[in-house]
Amino acid sequence: MTGFYARWAIMIGGILLLAMMTFQQYQRDLSTISLATVLNSPASSETVRILGMVKSGTLSGAVDQGQATFELMDGPTTLPVEYAGPPLENIRELKTIVLLGHLDHETKTFKAKDTALISNFGFVAAAYVIAVFSLGWAIFAMSQRVMVLFKEIKEEKLYEPENEPLANKE
Amino acid sequence: MLNRFIRYIQRYKGWFGGGGAICIFLGLYMGLLASPPDYYQGELVRIMYVHVPLAHTSTLAYSVLFFGSIWYLWKRDPLVDNMCQASAGICALFTALALITGSIWAKPTWNTWWTWDPRLVSFSVLLLILGGYLMLRKLVDDRERGGRYAAILAIVGGIDLPIIKFSVEWWRTLHQPMSFSTRGVAISDDILVPLTLMSLGAWLLFAYMVMVRTQILYLTDLLNAKKGRLLSQTHFSQTSP
Repeated sequence: MTGFYARWAIMIGGILLLAMMTFQQYQRDLSTISLATVLNSPASSETVRILGMVKSGTLSGAVDQGQATFELMDGPTTLPVEYAGPPLENIRELKTIVLLGHLDHETKTFKAKDTALISNFGFVAAAYVIAVFSLGWAIFAMSQRVMVLFKEIKEEKLYEPENEPLANKE
Repeated sequence: MLNRFIRYIQRYKGWFGGGGAICIFLGLYMGLLASPPDYYQGELVRIMYVHVPLAHTSTLAYSVLFFGSIWYLWKRDPLVDNMCQASAGICALFTALALITGSIWAKPTWNTWWTWDPRLVSFSVLLLILGGYLMLRKLVDDRERGGRYAAILAIVGGIDLPIIKFSVEWWRTLHQPMSFSTRGVAISDDILVPLTLMSLGAWLLFAYMVMVRTQILYLTDLLNAKKGRLLSQTHFSQTSP
């Protein structure tokens, strides 16, 4: 019985460790901050990720050569962006994008050097949680049921040793 | 022969469970942390590492049910009947999870949770067949008769397996085409390794779950038989002069 719960504790510990590492990676590489947070943050050249929609009628420059200026909207907040980086393949007005760069506090312009896809990580997390939790619960319940049946057979004093692998615990 | 094989392999069920857990852990690590995002789908591609193994395993589980049912109708072996019943319940779980995770994947990529796509519909039909199978087992009092009817249903329902497999080729569909076919493997190695690990882990876990569930059904029968024997003995000693 102790071995059974110890095995499950190790497995749950492993899953939790994986979940924590995934969350750390999400915070480091995928999470975005709002435009208001960028505008109110202290001056820094650290690269941040922001999410917003390209404002209609503001996109200009050589987009296919990786040079563009536009305004990014996030609710009521707008932020001028100067993009200089890899050619922008999928950018267009009213498209929601993720930009990597930093805010120039003197000009209040966001200097973007790269773009990324919207992560939608909530969907990924939901799929993993549902699949792993359901399977784990099913296996746990079945393993426990086997133990209960053995206990019941013994307590009812109905147990007869059987030369039979299905009637053996291990 | 199949009876002997089930009894023999039952001794090693711990290895299947342990192996499955290790493969799943490695697959989860690689799928969530080590593999790169997809160029078009980004991070969403990671849903594939749970959705595809679940879907593959559910068709594998139904194949076990299908061939087990043929064997049962031929030999009338109660242990094979137990294995079929165990496979059906676990297959229903895997099928439901494959549909749910597929739906979660569909929302951000197709912009809908559900669409009347041939692959989705044929897969849902599989879940309905399994629901019917499990209801038959529950509702028919005579166990032998219930097993026979359910086996016939499982064999007839087997027609859904090739429909699921080839639905993406036979009809116009939103679902992506087969990645593994005679034309080769249409997946890069970075994605193929975690996907293979997760698939292998899911198959091993399925095997483990079938063994445990078969054991539960066997032990329940054993307990009921012994209780019945004891009750009849008590009844006999009380009623006899």
